[in-house]
Amino acid sequence: MRPGHRVRLASYLFIGAAVFLMARSVVAHAILLESSPSINTTVAGPAIPVKLRFNVRIDATRSRLTLVKPDASTQSLAISRDAPADTLASQAQGLSSGEYRIRWQVLASDGHITRGEIPFKVTQP
Amino acid sequence: MARLLQIFGFLSVLFRGGTLSFGSLTIGGIVFLNFVARAANSQSDAVNQACLRWIRRAAVALASMQMAYILASTLILMQSADMTISDVSGANFVLAGILAIASALTIAVLASVHLPRNSAVLLLPAALILVSSVMTSHAVARLDFRFPLAVVTALHQGATATWLGGLFYLLIAIPRSPDNQFARQLIARFSKLALISVAVLAAAGFTLSLAYVGSIPAIYGTSYGIMVATKVVLFATLLLLGALNFQIARSPAGGSVIASLKRFGEAELGIGITVILTAASLTSLPPAIDLKNDRVSAHEIAARLAPEIPRLASPSIQDLPEDIYAAEVKAFDAGTLSSASFVPGQAGTRPNTPAEKSWSEYNHHWAGLIVLAIGLLTFLAQTKLFPWARNWPLLFLGLSLFLFLRSDPETWPLGPNGFWVTLQDPEVLLHRIFALLVIGLAIFEWRVQTGRVATEGARLIFPALVAVASALLLTHSHSLGNIKEEVLAELSHAPLAVLGVVAGWSRWLELRLPAENKVRDRMAWLWPTCLVLIGLLLLNYREM
Repeated sequence: MRPGHRVRLASYLFIGAAVFLMARSVVAHAILLESSPSINTTVAGPAIPVKLRFNVRIDATRSRLTLVKPDASTQSLAISRDAPADTLASQAQGLSSGEYRIRWQVLASDGHITRGEIPFKVTQP
Repeated sequence: MARLLQIFGFLSVLFRGGTLSFGSLTIGGIVFLNFVARAANSQSDAVNQACLRWIRRAAVALASMQMAYILASTLILMQSADMTISDVSGANFVLAGILAIASALTIAVLASVHLPRNSAVLLLPAALILVSSVMTSHAVARLDFRFPLAVVTALHQGATATWLGGLFYLLIAIPRSPDNQFARQLIARFSKLALISVAVLAAAGFTLSLAYVGSIPAIYGTSYGIMVATKVVLFATLLLLGALNFQIARSPAGGSVIASLKRFGEAELGIGITVILTAASLTSLPPAIDLKNDRVSAHEIAARLAPEIPRLASPSIQDLPEDIYAAEVKAFDAGTLSSASFVPGQAGTRPNTPAEKSWSEYNHHWAGLIVLAIGLLTFLAQTKLFPWARNWPLLFLGLSLFLFLRSDPETWPLGPNGFWVTLQDPEVLLHRIFALLVIGLAIFEWRVQTGRVATEGARLIFPALVAVASALLLTHSHSLGNIKEEVLAELSHAPLAVLGVVAGWSRWLELRLPAENKVRDRMAWLWPTCLVLIGLLLLNYREM
């Protein structure tokens, strides 16, 4: 094989391998370590603090917290700017008794989004 | 919209792979030019120009890939997370990408106009490419020891690019060297650089493992740990090849010495790319140290690996639930599944039912039987005593037919879903393409084995495809939540992938090494051994 051909072969291999190999990997790496309220717990309303701690720093300005109410309507929760770099914090106000969910969506530093839901129940004291 | 997200998700993963590969090529080339080609006692214009030409190409490719990656990721975020362009534009990954694009374009321009007089000027933008890569790594996202971890990550990635990216340029430089003495000088200088790089990357890799894995049970109990262990095994294989190269480089000059060095270099480069991309897939996994719950125990692994009788009969199609992808598309169209939970490229998070697991085991066991038969026939063929055994590639036709008929039970021709409908499912489409590729491979390699095709390039297709397809298995990892079943599945796929990579590259070396090199004879028996082992592992593959 001539040098030119060899180089072409080596580069095809390099590019081909890169393209094929990465084709199946799935992105995202921020995972929820703990939350308040915790999943499937009961908390006393009407105001509850919301705190979600992740395994890595997250981009809080590009992350979202949404409260899903018992009637399936949704409300965005304002994210506090004072929380630690791995935490999303907020406050949900005026919650009546019923089953709620907090939908979270975080952007990690590598540009990948992860999401999840925290179902919980509210009772009145 | 679901389809669009799927396509952009797929593309963004391709672009990410391209970015990492071309980044390594660009950095490795610049280091090679400055510390190997330019530092030699004499200079070769042909070598310098060839290096510059490839650095320029790699830099342009890096900038293009990075732009495409940012574009695809931005579109995904805008569509799936309701973000505006201004929301996305200040995100860390965009800033890191812009830095990489600016650095790569600077390199491309400098390599065209300013050089070849002063190549040291390229080192700064090369360092900035490294910085941009570290900006999106685990290190920067950590809360503790952020700066030291970022430094160690930079050392790890820089040393890898120097070694493996540089190797590519060594392979380019050798045939362009004015004489053998110059080539040997390049090899000697590169060997020293490679030794230092290997030491740095091993030390940095060990430090990162302590930080991100942290314990022995986390190595075998989490997806991240398994991928790190796989990287270590591949790294050991690379070291073995490097040692062989080192030994040859120190032997007396001879016609076959440089030829052997180049051949080992090719295999080293191929396995090296596999390691780089395995490392890239690690960035999408949460570090093992963060996953304290649901780790797989040694007892569970032993129970899963205990030999059992292969499952050669499939469950009934009626027992299988609705295809996950079809269910998600339906839910998406009905508005009951938000775009939020539609992670591009991932089929779904519903655990497999027992019938699905049985079907998967049945697929793997039949495939194992065919691969075992191929492995045994290749052994017979290598003895030269049984000429008919050279027809072993035809057994791949059986594998292709099996894949076509049985890998997607719900689809045409045996399942209820029609031909065109099922082709819209990316996974089915991928399986069908694989089946066609296997047919092509079978016919092609059969022609090679039976002497109908004799050109060297044609003979290399089979080992290259085996190596690439095996490395593909290593990017299967997608365990975000450390689901035990996914960890156990990866635990069985990783050895298959490593054996496949070794099989591919040992066959490559058997074909490429000069006849005088004794290693060639050992390689001739290594790849059939790997095929037999792959067959046996597949026969004992289990999902429950």
